[in-house]
Amino acid sequence: MLDLCLLSVMQEGPAYGYEMTKRLRARGLTIVGEGSIYPLLGRLERDGLVQTHRAASNGGPPRKYYEASPDGERTLAAGVSEWRATRDAVDGVLGLVEAEVRP
Amino acid sequence: MSSFVDECRREWKRLRVPAPIANEMAADLEADLAEAQTEGASAEQVLGSGAFDPRSFAASWAAERGVIHAPAPVAKSHRSLRSLVPVAVACVAAVVIVASAVALLAGGRSAMTSVAVASPIDPRHAPPAAARVFPTQIDGGGYHHALGFAVLLAAMVAVLVLAILYWSPWTDPGRRSRRHAFADDGPDGLHRY
Repeated sequence: MLDLCLLSVMQEGPAYGYEMTKRLRARGLTIVGEGSIYPLLGRLERDGLVQTHRAASNGGPPRKYYEASPDGERTLAAGVSEWRATRDAVDGVLGLVEAEVRP
Repeated sequence: MSSFVDECRREWKRLRVPAPIANEMAADLEADLAEAQTEGASAEQVLGSGAFDPRSFAASWAAERGVIHAPAPVAKSHRSLRSLVPVAVACVAAVVIVASAVALLAGGRSAMTSVAVASPIDPRHAPPAAARVFPTQIDGGGYHHALGFAVLLAAMVAVLVLAILYWSPWTDPGRRSRRHAFADDGPDGLHRY
């Protein structure tokens, strides 16, 4: 699921590792509690789901930028479709529950 | 934070990650950590739980990227076979050693008995030549058996020693290569950019 999130934030434009962490955080997803995005990016690269290039960052050293490859775009589309179907199915079950968390 | 990157470099070198790839990952990591530090973010906010275990983090990243290879299951079975075969050989050798030693001792007693019986014979009452041959033949057979058991005993001791040496972790080639890999981890490590 996190790899789909990474592919999703890459749609905003090519990004390097820490930049993607910031984009995820800006969308409310903090994954650093569980682990780093670097192994995930490594897997996406190995599987050919991202393309990379090296370019200078804003005043900093050259960075490795990631963007979704055509295969990555297809994987993202399929993954999002599957996720929505799963979410709707779960909502159909849990949506009937009337529960309230009391402090 | 640079000590974290140095630890990662050492781990990648130990895992034999190709130097250009290791350098690239180290440079990206260093730049990201520096940027995070500038923004007041901690390494933990960037790396998560990996911030506390650089070696695991580095190994995980390299493995996911496909630049190292996990040990094949075949290697594991070879390792277990490597452990079991010498143990079995050592057990067999030990049993044969005990049996040889018992046989050797029994043979020695028998030979001594033969000599003890033969020695009091008075030459004046010596039996005919054909009869005198008999104890000699017995002694000769005992000698050959004893020699055979002694050779067998020596051979089995040698097999036992070889099995122990083979089984010993100090003679494990994997251990030697691992020690070699660590010995290569000098302070310079991989070349930096």
